[in-house]
Amino acid sequence: MKISLKNYTFRYLTFWLLIVIAIWAFLFHSLILDEVYDNVDDGLKNQKIEIIREAYRDPNLLNTTEFGLSQFKISKVDPSKYDERNHFSNELVYMGYDDDMEPYRILRTGFYDKENHPYSLEIRTSTVEEDELIYDLSISLIALYVFILISILLINHFGLKKAFKPFGQIISQLRKYEVGNNEKPKLVETNVKEFSYLQKEIERMINRNDEVFNSQKLFIENASHELQTPLTIALNKLDLLIENSDLKEKEVMSLVETKQTLWRMVNLNKSLLMLSRIENNQYKNNVEVNFTALTKDLIEDYEEILEAEEIKLETNFKADFILDFNIDLARILISNLIRNAIKHNNDEKIIKIESDSNQFIISNTGKNATLDSNLIFSRFYKQGTSDGNNGLGLSIVDTIIKNQQNLTLRYNYEFPFHQFILKK
Amino acid sequence: MKILVVEDEIKLQETIVEFLEKEKMIVETADNYQQALDKIISFDYDCILLDMMLPDGDGMSLLKELKNLHKETSVIILSAKDSVDDKVEGLLVGADDYLAKPFHFAELLARIKVALRKNLQKGEDVLSYKNIQIFPEDRLVKVNNIELKLNRKEYDLLYYFMLRPERVFQKTTLAESVWGDHIELSDNLDFIYSQIKNLRKKMKEANSEADLQAVYGIGYKLI
Repeated sequence: MKISLKNYTFRYLTFWLLIVIAIWAFLFHSLILDEVYDNVDDGLKNQKIEIIREAYRDPNLLNTTEFGLSQFKISKVDPSKYDERNHFSNELVYMGYDDDMEPYRILRTGFYDKENHPYSLEIRTSTVEEDELIYDLSISLIALYVFILISILLINHFGLKKAFKPFGQIISQLRKYEVGNNEKPKLVETNVKEFSYLQKEIERMINRNDEVFNSQKLFIENASHELQTPLTIALNKLDLLIENSDLKEKEVMSLVETKQTLWRMVNLNKSLLMLSRIENNQYKNNVEVNFTALTKDLIEDYEEILEAEEIKLETNFKADFILDFNIDLARILISNLIRNAIKHNNDEKIIKIESDSNQFIISNTGKNATLDSNLIFSRFYKQGTSDGNNGLGLSIVDTIIKNQQNLTLRYNYEFPFHQFILKK
Repeated sequence: MKILVVEDEIKLQETIVEFLEKEKMIVETADNYQQALDKIISFDYDCILLDMMLPDGDGMSLLKELKNLHKETSVIILSAKDSVDDKVEGLLVGADDYLAKPFHFAELLARIKVALRKNLQKGEDVLSYKNIQIFPEDRLVKVNNIELKLNRKEYDLLYYFMLRPERVFQKTTLAESVWGDHIELSDNLDFIYSQIKNLRKKMKEANSEADLQAVYGIGYKLI
């Protein structure tokens, strides 16, 4: 599953911060502990000096053999076991008053009294409060950890949201971009270096794409253009040859067939040129076009063909479908749809044309299956092996629709009709 | 009728000349802008067939030059471009017609006739063959001086036949000329057959001496 950068960084930070803070807490804890014991030890050492001094003044003190109120005890030792060095240790001592073990810091050392007898001295002090300090410290650290996480979450949320605003804008610009469309993505103002890099690279990529696209388009255009003249020469030469009455009938017929084949090439060329012209927005002037009236005109042109093909045309014009459109494109659009309906008809031989003020539908009987609407509009996609079919008719329709914002085309199959629905 | 063909593609120029000469026209040629300009200044032509892309200049400026000379010559642009803008501009500058390459000779001839018509006195412009007359100005057909009612396509068909009687018209040429480029739709071109049949019937009923004859596998001719 994909997660957003915000959550991604947060997830990482949560984990690593825990470790970093734990290590830091451990070190801090040791340091503080060290400092605390140092303090305590200093106090104990100070007490030791005072006890020894007191013992010199008042030898009775030497009889303090048990810990009492004064929290120290003195005991005689063998000269051989005498040790004057300070030994510090932490011990748990049972305390009757709250029936529990309490932590104590204990100093063990030795001294000589006035008579030069060796004594050992044990001084202890409770470290309960110091332990509480450490406990508090840990709590604070956990609180700090949680607080830092929440802060990061908030900073991430608001800070990154702000920082990533240009990113969102760049993405939405890109979404609108289409190769070959003259509308280039607008530059998004940003002072984030990464985004301006990204933008620069995208811009370069788009320019490269457009260059390739345009040069290919130009190539098709030029190739189509350049083909026209040789085709004209070939066709006209054939015309002259056919009119030459010396030729035998069979020869003339094969010349006529050659001519027809050349005309197919001419038509293919014309269609390609038309495609690039539509893409180049060379059909500009929009006027109010009445598609319904236009269709009635066009149907007249197809009367004989429909009759010859024995196709039944049913029209149902409830209202005029009127739209701001280029009149030439409208003509091309409608006649290509009608031709398509004629070409791909089947034995049922019905074409229906319907219009109301919001939509315009051309339906025809045909192959009994839904067609792939992704394929039928693509260039050179052919169904069957119809000879005169160059596979560009519907892609011209598609290109026209794509270059006009106010009209959509949808393909639909509703047994037994293949429907092409134009909608405002 | 004197015609100037301005076309830099020599092969194409030759075929056009050959065709027009067969149609009993006087044809002169120019391969480039300079030659064309010289000829336009020096001579008068009834019609100029003008290629828009010439090696040393474009047809558009030649058109403008022609206007400056106040010559009443009809101009038909022959262009490989076939773009709306080109067409509109050409017609605005004063061309009479615009024919996209490639074209059928029959179509070219029809266009030339139409273009020439504007320089003729009204009434002079009649096509006649046997007892049929066509008045293109009014789209009127008379057989034995009696008007023959034809629908739009029947008229167009007959007009093409009358332009070149006794010549064979290929079915594809007829289809393209009368119906536009719809031939790709129908492999059998039956629709032309039924139109021709109707036309023949009407002609026969009007006692026309001319008839349309089928030439097997190729097309039809007016005899």
